[in-house]
Amino acid sequence: MRVLVEPLIVSLISFLLALIIVIVDAVVNNYGEVKITINKKKTMTVKGGVPLLFTLASQGVFIPSACGGRGSCGVCKVKVLSDVGPYLPTEFAYISKEQMKENVRLSCQVKVKKDIEIEIPEELLYAKKFQAVVEKINNVTYDIKELTLKLIEPKTIDFRAGQYVQLSIPPYGKINEVTQRAYSISSPPSENEHIQLLIRLVPGGAATTYVHNYMKEGEKVQFTGPFGEFYVRETNAVMICVAGGSGMAPLRSLIIDLYQKNVEREIWYFFGARAMKDLFYVDFFMELEKKWKNFHFIPALSSPDPQDEWNGEIGLITDVLDKYLKSKIDLSKPKEGYLCGSPGMINACVQVMKNNGIAEEKIYFDKFA
Amino acid sequence: MKIDPITLLFASIFTSNILLANFLGMCSYISISKDLKSSNGLGMAVTFVMTVTTVVNWFVYHYVIVPLKIEYLRYIIFIVVIAAVVQILEMVIDRISPSLYITLGIFLPLITVNCAILGVTLFMQLRDYSVVQSLFYGLGSGLGWWLAIVLLAAIRKKIDNAPAPAGLKGTGLTFITIGIMAMAFIGFSGMIRVQ
Amino acid sequence: MSPEFIEAQKNMKPGVISSVGFLGDDERDLAQIIQEDELLMSQLQLDFDEVARWMERIMDEAVKGLGEPMIVEGKWEVQIYEARGFIPCPFKDGIFRKRVALVRNLQNNAKISFSDLSIHLLKKHHFLQGRGSPFRIEPEQLKKLLD
Repeated sequence: MRVLVEPLIVSLISFLLALIIVIVDAVVNNYGEVKITINKKKTMTVKGGVPLLFTLASQGVFIPSACGGRGSCGVCKVKVLSDVGPYLPTEFAYISKEQMKENVRLSCQVKVKKDIEIEIPEELLYAKKFQAVVEKINNVTYDIKELTLKLIEPKTIDFRAGQYVQLSIPPYGKINEVTQRAYSISSPPSENEHIQLLIRLVPGGAATTYVHNYMKEGEKVQFTGPFGEFYVRETNAVMICVAGGSGMAPLRSLIIDLYQKNVEREIWYFFGARAMKDLFYVDFFMELEKKWKNFHFIPALSSPDPQDEWNGEIGLITDVLDKYLKSKIDLSKPKEGYLCGSPGMINACVQVMKNNGIAEEKIYFDKFA
Repeated sequence: MKIDPITLLFASIFTSNILLANFLGMCSYISISKDLKSSNGLGMAVTFVMTVTTVVNWFVYHYVIVPLKIEYLRYIIFIVVIAAVVQILEMVIDRISPSLYITLGIFLPLITVNCAILGVTLFMQLRDYSVVQSLFYGLGSGLGWWLAIVLLAAIRKKIDNAPAPAGLKGTGLTFITIGIMAMAFIGFSGMIRVQ
Repeated sequence: MSPEFIEAQKNMKPGVISSVGFLGDDERDLAQIIQEDELLMSQLQLDFDEVARWMERIMDEAVKGLGEPMIVEGKWEVQIYEARGFIPCPFKDGIFRKRVALVRNLQNNAKISFSDLSIHLLKKHHFLQGRGSPFRIEPEQLKKLLD
């Protein structure tokens, strides 16, 4: 009998202790309902105790994140105007000193424990979660694929040419979690029932490897968006657009959109690549150049293969850009720059544009990198 | 035992320091003493857990274990109580200071299996202390552990930049330092015994 | 291993930060990899800080090529590839741009590739990545490259 009773007593003691823990947990970890005020206008009342990123997502406000809130990418930064405690060790690696002065926090690390006020870029309030299906996967070059996604729910998307979406990649291979990456929309806003993305294969890249090696037509995908502050400013200045590789995406959207709206502005589009095999959509843009007198397409190869028999411009895109700005484009007209590409290319082009009299505030580029 | 609680408090901090005289509670001692701030945090947590568990276990021992004659099950029951107290402490720390919670990381739940905690409870039971003696003994041992880890953290910070041989740098030197500290504390042992 | 290393090793597995991870098919644990590589480097008389400085210099020169291969300091051909976005360090102490430098020694054809993150891992953590990782910096190769 004792053999039965005694383990029972131990279990009873453990049970009582567990009960105490549950009660303490309910009391200590219960933050009640809290109010989040966004940009001083939108408010939401939510259950406290959950990190800001997920709390906002549960209310339909999607802050871009690449790692899904695990604290390993540093993308989900939000300006928090109220006091939410000191910076956590997990935030230090991603927040610069200037950002600390502005109270920028990592929203996946900050738990919402009381009423707070936050500030986020305006367009994030309009971003939605979309379900779509992969309609087509096209190879445009040896390392770039064009993805066409048909929207299922919501059925249409409202965006400005130049914006991007955050595509969710499901777990695959050795990767056990969902990853998210940003890709600019290359189709124009007028085609609002589907979007097109250009995805270049990056060696070892989590998302691009999936798209190139695993993604199939007919597959369902999710994305959030649209995001981004890269769009056409409504002035009459000459537009100097420069892109390379998959950087073509937002500019294609921009240019087609302007054409469809019959905008009367002079547009120059410089597309830099290494050799013929890196070029794509050349026929499309040359056709457009014939139809639209405002539009000038200048592809430039920096190291063409002999068999390319290339008759166009040769040299680094920055040198070709410089040449045209100095000699082929009207020096007296005001100009705006629209750039998309790697940070190195963007920096170099900004320099060239500044040297040719384009003010830095008038040079626009996609900052999500 | 006839030893008066205040003497017991003093003795358990200095002359019979649970870490330096009994060598209990070493693993988190060595790991966390790299950083002074987290050492402080952990010291506080250990003191709290030690005090609370020693007293709670006294009650459990004298009002549950002994009357039901299940002394042989005391190890299990003591550990279960310690685990529960640590769990509650974790939740409270997370609420009050999330930054300390993240800094302590894995070492907070590891307090449960810190042999110093169980050791103090067992000493309390072995030496048959009264409830007041248990309170002061637990508190004193905790404070002693805290003192020892803060001392070591301060010393480590200083010797960090010393040109030690590569093989001894870090853990090796720490062990030697602890040994020397223990020898220094033995100097106290002639004063009062905690028995 | 210390908790920081245990956490870093977890972050180095494929899929957590990069799709291939940082450990290749190395069976050793992180602390062992670092220890043995430190030994190899000192045997080859290579100093981590000096190597990191050289790598930074090479990168700064070669970015001017905008993706074209460039001859740097007359000895090496370097080409920089850049992808958008940032990659965090597995030790959780910083995020880095995704720039990769492909370096080839003009005389003996030794090749190595490294990224901004590789330079940080080498300099701050003495971590050259596991054997089998596409970005492993093999000390022997490094020696040949630098000669």
